[in-house]
Amino acid sequence: MLWRADPPRARRLVALDGLSLIYHRPSGMTHVVAPPMPEILDALGEGPADVADIVSRLAARFDIADPADAEAVVSARLAELAERGLVFAA
Amino acid sequence: MSRHVAMLRVGPIAFRVGSAWKGPTDALRRLYAGYPVPAVPDFTVRLEPQKRWRRWIAPSVAIRGDYQFVGAAPLSLAHGLLAAEMGMNLQMALGLRRYLLLHASAVERDGRAVIMTGHSGAGKSTLAALLSERGWRFLGDEFVLVDLVTGQLRPFPRAVSLKNEAAAVMRAEGAGDRLLFSLDDTPKGRITYLRPDDAAIARMDETARPALILFPRFGDAQAVRLVGPAEVFVRLTQASTNYVTLGEPGFDALSALVRDLPARAIDYPDGDSAVALVERLWAELAR
Amino acid sequence: MTDQPNDDTAGPAFDARASRRGMLMLGAVSASMVVTIRPALAQTNVSVLACEIPVPDPARAGSFVAADGSLVEPNTPGAFPPAPRPLTGEEVKTILAGGPGPAGMDPQAAQAYTRYIEKLQNGMSGFTCYASLQNPRG
Repeated sequence: MLWRADPPRARRLVALDGLSLIYHRPSGMTHVVAPPMPEILDALGEGPADVADIVSRLAARFDIADPADAEAVVSARLAELAERGLVFAA
Repeated sequence: MSRHVAMLRVGPIAFRVGSAWKGPTDALRRLYAGYPVPAVPDFTVRLEPQKRWRRWIAPSVAIRGDYQFVGAAPLSLAHGLLAAEMGMNLQMALGLRRYLLLHASAVERDGRAVIMTGHSGAGKSTLAALLSERGWRFLGDEFVLVDLVTGQLRPFPRAVSLKNEAAAVMRAEGAGDRLLFSLDDTPKGRITYLRPDDAAIARMDETARPALILFPRFGDAQAVRLVGPAEVFVRLTQASTNYVTLGEPGFDALSALVRDLPARAIDYPDGDSAVALVERLWAELAR
Repeated sequence: MTDQPNDDTAGPAFDARASRRGMLMLGAVSASMVVTIRPALAQTNVSVLACEIPVPDPARAGSFVAADGSLVEPNTPGAFPPAPRPLTGEEVKTILAGGPGPAGMDPQAAQAYTRYIEKLQNGMSGFTCYASLQNPRG
């Protein structure tokens, strides 16, 4: 299943103490998110991708501290982001 | 219907309060004597009879205006001043777009401000009134107005409504001559209105830069807890009546406010320890 | 992106970020990582205790209230007639806390009215008053 997000300019992001504030322009909603949410949204900036590809993109940019079950975790996070209107099934 | 009118400007906001009865507008004029009288109102409040005949028989005051709260119970004429004050709060809470509005009190020193926010009854009004007797300039006890572009605070010095114990404290501080009206049997018991001091009124157009935010709570042993910026942000969205409707400018103003602002939750058992705590944290944290 | 001043890696141009990869914790599957800001409900600071809730909503005036709070046809056996006057926020709060209903009101009717209020949906006239009761502020 392919996921996609709005382009980066659709979001205003402000980093605070380990958390990020996201103002999502298309919906006018504000979310407070923790890693790996901003990183997943950035990874989708390269274009739609399935979970495995998103994990690869993350691994290319970061040292993943807890790589076991990465796909299960990223799937769960994508489901949460979808619920909030931040990502969509492509 | 509104045969009696009071016009007053508080900080940047001009109000027109019309009333079917003389009492409430007379009270407003006395409570806010010396405040600028605007030519054109930003918001209108109308105190009207709930039903036509309730103008004279068991008068029942309905609060109406540009913005109305569906389901508001009418008040008695004895509480007409409270109705006028609630009406002004309502217009601000529902209609203000020019500034980010936070339910908070604030005081100023050297061009910088402490913002105090928290649950109703936690003590932010009383603490602001007390600090204003101890060398701080009163900016407001109900609403803090944040300029959407500059981030500066605009003063909004309305009268402070105090419950019994708080009124006694202010009397003991020597502010008795500004405790002007008492209303018994309101939903919050007996309340007394404290008129802001002359400095607060004279300087109501002087802005201040936020330098410290506190979450005060009266009634517990003294304690101080650091509050992280993300938590402050979320708490302030819940303390704001217009954050969501402002959209991106609101997000920009609030995120900029919390990003560099030191924040503490403070508990204190009495007024003097509260003041001491504020002074200590101000010296330690305010830039 | 400008050159990193302290970069000591020899060789052709490369992605500076790739050579300085940060750590990323993905976290647990079951943990939630988003909080969405919802508008504060008790927006007006009008005293909660001063608001009123008509039972039933004026759009359904005349309906009777069953013991479980649902609205039924007038004169349905076991159901209660519309409340003679709106309930105030203070009264609803008291009943929800297990206290007595308003003086002069049948206590079972008061319970039924309160259950009706608990089911109020957004858009009904008493919703804002009821919703503001839920918010600890005010």
